[in-house]
Amino acid sequence: MIEVSNLRKYFGSVKAVDGVSFRAEDGKITGLLGPNGAGKSTTLRILYTAFRPDAGTALIDNLDVTIDKLAVRSSIGVLTHGAGIYERLTAYENIRYFGELHGMSGKELKMRIGELAELLEMNDFIERRAKGFSQGQKTKVALARALVHNPKNVLLDEPTNGLDIMATRGLREVIQRLKGAGHCVLFSSHVMQEVAALCDEIVIIANGTVAASGSPEQLRADTGQTNLEDAFVKAIGSEEGLI
Amino acid sequence: MHTRKISHLSSLWIILRKEVVDNARDRRTLTTMAVSIVIFPLLMFGLIWFLDKTVKEETDLVNAPALKLPVVGAEYAPNLINWLTQNNIEVIKPPADPELSISKGEHRVILFIGADYPESFRNGTTAPLRLIHDSSITGLEKIGFNMVQGAIRAYSGQIASLRLTARGINPEAANPIRINLSDVASPHARSGQFLTMMPYLLIMFIMAGGMYLAIDTTAGEREKGSLEPLLTQPVKRHIVLLAKLGATIVFSSLTLLMVLAGLGLAFAYMPVDIISISVGIGKIATIFIACLPFVFAGCALMVLVASFTKSYKEAQSYLGMVMLIPTLPLMSLAFMSPEPSTSNMWVPALSQGIIIIETLKGETVALELIGLSMICSTILATALAWVAIKLYQRERILG
Repeated sequence: MIEVSNLRKYFGSVKAVDGVSFRAEDGKITGLLGPNGAGKSTTLRILYTAFRPDAGTALIDNLDVTIDKLAVRSSIGVLTHGAGIYERLTAYENIRYFGELHGMSGKELKMRIGELAELLEMNDFIERRAKGFSQGQKTKVALARALVHNPKNVLLDEPTNGLDIMATRGLREVIQRLKGAGHCVLFSSHVMQEVAALCDEIVIIANGTVAASGSPEQLRADTGQTNLEDAFVKAIGSEEGLI
Repeated sequence: MHTRKISHLSSLWIILRKEVVDNARDRRTLTTMAVSIVIFPLLMFGLIWFLDKTVKEETDLVNAPALKLPVVGAEYAPNLINWLTQNNIEVIKPPADPELSISKGEHRVILFIGADYPESFRNGTTAPLRLIHDSSITGLEKIGFNMVQGAIRAYSGQIASLRLTARGINPEAANPIRINLSDVASPHARSGQFLTMMPYLLIMFIMAGGMYLAIDTTAGEREKGSLEPLLTQPVKRHIVLLAKLGATIVFSSLTLLMVLAGLGLAFAYMPVDIISISVGIGKIATIFIACLPFVFAGCALMVLVASFTKSYKEAQSYLGMVMLIPTLPLMSLAFMSPEPSTSNMWVPALSQGIIIIETLKGETVALELIGLSMICSTILATALAWVAIKLYQRERILG
């Protein structure tokens, strides 16, 4: 479970995150929706301990991300923006590396990677070096790497970026399965349809603050709009950055 | 859910091992190492072989062709000309303008005998001779000049003895002192001048061997987008940096070891007489161990600089310059040959340079001085690594 309250992060005079609060429950998919530059990535970066917030608190499974950094990192799986993997290592080696850093080894690690390769349909390239992989293949490796230690909380930053339709469908399926297995899934996106199709909870972020939040039905009701897109536009107050 | 603890040491080992495997598959790293093993000894010995050959040809007095010496006014001194001919100097016709031909470089030395020479000689006063040469000419081209001068001095000395004897004086009375030279330099040490460039080259290779890894540690990982995922693993950031520094040191020291091994093989099999040096396991081990603290310092310096560059390209151009820093203290080795002492052995790079030269010469450096060098370089390295860790912990590292 992820609880964020009144989070702030300024870069000089730029208020990247300016008082963001929300909750992401276990067994639910929570989407951070907002135009580019709204503060989604910065919020996630604070959650996965890369940035230190200037104010406010962020708890993951009741652990403060600024205090219990290592414990927090053990309990999360992160797909960062861009999903860089090591080109000179095979897909298998890429995943194994992160598994080892989480203290896994031997047969257990091997079986887990096999499981993920099955789940993400990676078997035809698992033993190949990552150089020359398509964006979809790279994202799969990065996702497997993020899930190798079976983390309770999964943070995905723009996971469908650069993926084709089939790969996007595959990813949605994986996210649904994680939900089914009781994980807390938090992902950011600027693609409305994607968030609408997947999320139980939507947090709309604009200009570093939460413009609106709730289930899709609640959002529609709160803004008095019948479709989610209009609700979204109404919430952020402009059509800028909408896709 | 896996919430097992993992020790810092095993994290360090996992990251270090991954970096070594990853970079061992990198063509750039491997090329640098291959160049160091093959090109370096070739370059070194190509140069030495050329020098060796030239020196041998120019100084071989038995088989060498006679030195051609243009003489102006040869008719005034037939005895001297005879003497010169006996000394393997062939007297030839002088050019029209001796000075001009010397400055043009057509001849290296011309003997000028004036019309007053015979008379002075007959009267028993000092007879003047003029040698025309260009003093800006150095090296092997000077051999001819020295040879002619030596021959004339010998002739003069002989005539002086004869004159004194004729006047009933023991010639030794005119030579109150005779200097006998004893050269204690071992044959190895005499090759020393060729060795002054060795520290320079070895230290360059130490830096080059680790350069790509140092870049990869920060700028490279960031550019690939893999730094952020790595830093979200349950590993302390300073462990990540130290592991990467460790991998850099592995490649850097491996390069050093291979260069030294290549050098040993080359010295053993190159047919070069001018330098009679054997580089055995003992010397390689001494140099390698004495240089390890410098390897540590050099790698830490590179990792530090790479950590505030924004891209791979930027890091590459910065590190190209950084590589030159350790060679600055070595400059002094080109102008003097300092003996190891407490006043110079604390200087990183310089002290290793001195150890390299002395060891290759076959001389031993006092253990406490080697210790001083190693301790001071380690202190510097630790300080650099500490700064690098501080830089690595900034949020800005993620770009």
